[in-house]
Amino acid sequence: MTPARSQAGERVIRTVCPLGCGIGCGILAHVKDGVLTKVEPGDFAGTSHICAKGLSAPKLVYHPDRLKYPMKRKGARGEDQWERISWDEALDVIAANIREIGQKHGPNSFAFVTTGVGVFGNLLPVGFSGAVQGTFILPAGAGDSAGPCADQLCYGSLWWFGEDYPNRFSHPAFCLVWGNNPAQTEPFKWKRIRRAKDMGAKLVVIDPMFTTTAAKADHYIRIRPGTDAALALSMMNVILSRRLHDISFIASRTQGPFLVRSDNGLFLKEKDILPGGPDDYVVWDSLSRKPQNCNVPHMQGALTGTYHINGVECKPAFQLLSDVVAQYSPARASEITGVPADVIVRLAAEYATAEPAAMYRGLGGTRGSIHGDLSFRAMNTLAAVTGNISVEAHAPHQYNQALFLTHCFPAFVTLLQAYEAIASGKPHPIKALWMNRRNTLNQDPNFNHITRDLLPRLEFIVATDMFMTTSTRYADVVLPTSSSFEFCDLIAPIGNGSHNYLQVQEKVIEPLHESKSYLDMFAALARKMKIDGFLDKSAEDYIREMLASGHPSMDGITLERLRENPMPPAPHDLPDFGTPSKRFEFYSERLKAFGEELPVYREPMENHCGSLSARYPLSLLSTHPKYRLHSMFANISWIREFDPGPALDINPADARERGIRDGDLVRVFNDRGEMKLKASVHEGVIQGVANVSQGWSPSDYAGGFHQALTHNVINPAQAAVYEPNAAYYDVAVQVERVQEG
Amino acid sequence: MVKEYGLVVDLERCIGCRTCTIACKVEHGIEVGSGIRVETVGSPHEDTPAGEYPKLSMTFTPMTCMQCKQPACLDACPTEAICKRADGIVLIDEGKCNGCQECLPACPYGALVFDSKLGLPRKCNLCSERLDQGLQPFCALCCPEQAISCGDLAGPDSVVSRAINQRGAYVLRPELPAGPRVYYCPPAAPRRI
Repeated sequence: MTPARSQAGERVIRTVCPLGCGIGCGILAHVKDGVLTKVEPGDFAGTSHICAKGLSAPKLVYHPDRLKYPMKRKGARGEDQWERISWDEALDVIAANIREIGQKHGPNSFAFVTTGVGVFGNLLPVGFSGAVQGTFILPAGAGDSAGPCADQLCYGSLWWFGEDYPNRFSHPAFCLVWGNNPAQTEPFKWKRIRRAKDMGAKLVVIDPMFTTTAAKADHYIRIRPGTDAALALSMMNVILSRRLHDISFIASRTQGPFLVRSDNGLFLKEKDILPGGPDDYVVWDSLSRKPQNCNVPHMQGALTGTYHINGVECKPAFQLLSDVVAQYSPARASEITGVPADVIVRLAAEYATAEPAAMYRGLGGTRGSIHGDLSFRAMNTLAAVTGNISVEAHAPHQYNQALFLTHCFPAFVTLLQAYEAIASGKPHPIKALWMNRRNTLNQDPNFNHITRDLLPRLEFIVATDMFMTTSTRYADVVLPTSSSFEFCDLIAPIGNGSHNYLQVQEKVIEPLHESKSYLDMFAALARKMKIDGFLDKSAEDYIREMLASGHPSMDGITLERLRENPMPPAPHDLPDFGTPSKRFEFYSERLKAFGEELPVYREPMENHCGSLSARYPLSLLSTHPKYRLHSMFANISWIREFDPGPALDINPADARERGIRDGDLVRVFNDRGEMKLKASVHEGVIQGVANVSQGWSPSDYAGGFHQALTHNVINPAQAAVYEPNAAYYDVAVQVERVQEG
Repeated sequence: MVKEYGLVVDLERCIGCRTCTIACKVEHGIEVGSGIRVETVGSPHEDTPAGEYPKLSMTFTPMTCMQCKQPACLDACPTEAICKRADGIVLIDEGKCNGCQECLPACPYGALVFDSKLGLPRKCNLCSERLDQGLQPFCALCCPEQAISCGDLAGPDSVVSRAINQRGAYVLRPELPAGPRVYYCPPAAPRRI
């Protein structure tokens, strides 16, 4: 591929479209007289991709509303009254606040939160918060962390958007898309599914909403949000009773045969029965009829039964799983999930007998319940008991991500714990916040709680962005950031919804107005604060250092070669399961304290259950937009032509019950807040559920805001494993018609 | 051999993402509207399904100028601003157009849009300037699902001819005398579990 070609005074430069979505499509940027005139898809990975958003890039870059210079607040926070200041003054004010707040409240009182696609946007705020002894807020809890939490337990790795193991088959015969809408949100994953379907694979979609992906499916199954674990357990119920499970995989690649003590729920170890023995798992050998170390060859570990060893009752872990599974007959699961029992039976049989069956999990399945990690653990376990775990998984590029952690490590808090840190000072007394191009107030849950209870406790707020957003509006100092066409960056693929190519984002135009790149901004502040030896190199030099990590996945990858061609990771040995047993783990000793050692089904916190149902009978989803990217692109007039504003998707039966007609203005409310918007009455949403496409800002509503309805409740079991997840779709509401006029 | 350009749109592949709609705006500088739009056929709203659960369906159909053999817009134009090239592409000569908008209601496919900024009707010209350079139409290049292809209806092995012969591609409203040159491949029949 030629990275650049010229015609009639126009340069065409190969770069990446990292306007924010993390897919990182390779694009060709047309530049004439220093102006970005057009983008088009660039070839890579044997394919190409661009979308309505990416094609609108020049509209975003040259948008008249772009933040053009630093500003400081006049009037009260949120009033949107500003005074233009110089970069010098802005950096002076920020530097003084970092020093003073640190002196007054101690280390870790200045917190940073970021969203970035390139390495600079992601990693610089981490390094900078370390350099100033601040706190870095880990962002995965914004709806994305329950899946990695489950995958950490099952596979021992944090596959982000974690779909690697159950879906990496080259030629699946059956594609089960579960709580995921890749045709809308994960184009490269969708291309793989499309290829499989073209080659004859059947496509089944499970979702509370009839999505774009459902429109392409052979069979669409509608499910109540947050009940996915019950469906997965019931499918296993059918599979075990029909003996369709993969005994060989369960015996050799999962904890299935390992004995669990009935007295304490812990695995029996050889040292328990043989003083001074090794810390190895023990199985019951059906051939010799006695317990054996799991590593002994030529024996057959029993998967079922109850055994007494040295007076201690023990059962194979698979027996314990089978006992849970036995509770979820299709009839019972049907009552919980709303999926007809006969559909559960047929789905289970087809999934278990397809060779192989791939499962594509999104994050929707983990947002519908505060127990989203259990949903994913049950779905993973379903894949494992049928042997549908792919060993073709790739491992990502291991570039040097610690490059900016040169001074000291920051303190880390998770997103939901940051709420608590601001409210109570624990574990760190957060008194100031820097939102680095992260529209936190628009995208993170419980807006009224944030603005009413948390922001007044913050003594200083900085926000960097391309536009005035819900978040920048509440800042004390606002800094204009450059678009991704205005600086050089390294773009690594995020997870498997993407491709696995590392790419270089080129600087194709000069920074517009007084905007700065992340590197130039933090470097200027570091100089102002006299932090020696920090951020004193060029973007290119940093990228070179990141590429030279020495990891085998980076063999042969240089900046110069990346500029010619995007590159996949160099072939290297794939890590085995990173779990303690080096096997797939469905049984977790560490979650015994929560009663979640097995992937049980737990009712959602608010959705269609419990005492809330009488007052707030509907579950509110806030699914990802088709034409926008979170809160981005809502200000592009081209997009607004077909995506004009928020609407409440509601089932005709629910609408009828409330006297709501299509197009009526409705009020959606719960104890936390409300929103007013138009009703869109249609069959695409399951009865008992209402949905609004997320990303809209308060100003887009006729009143209120969807994030005023969401909550920031922490699931402690998730916090014990990974970052606790915001259960954005485990939200109970009521809907009423607004009398107009 | 004179070419006869036509389009084929694969409804099995189309995901209704409207990349084509924006691509047309980009290529032709259309601020309001586009030469190609996407309809969710038979549904109460865009991007919502038709029918009742479990029998739901959602079919996205890109709609554009059909490059008709007998264009009704051409007949309706009082200033002879609409013409047809030898290869079948129907063009608007903006120099001759007086902005009277007679062509808009004449089109049975609703393929023309009025650009209020320019005071002129706009429609798809199959990116004739790109075709003349050997490039495919910009919407076809940008379509992430490769659902849009442009080819020579006169050539038996062209992508369009193959779609007609092998996939049963059809035209919309065949009963009209228009003779449209945009073909649609039907979606695959679902195989339920």
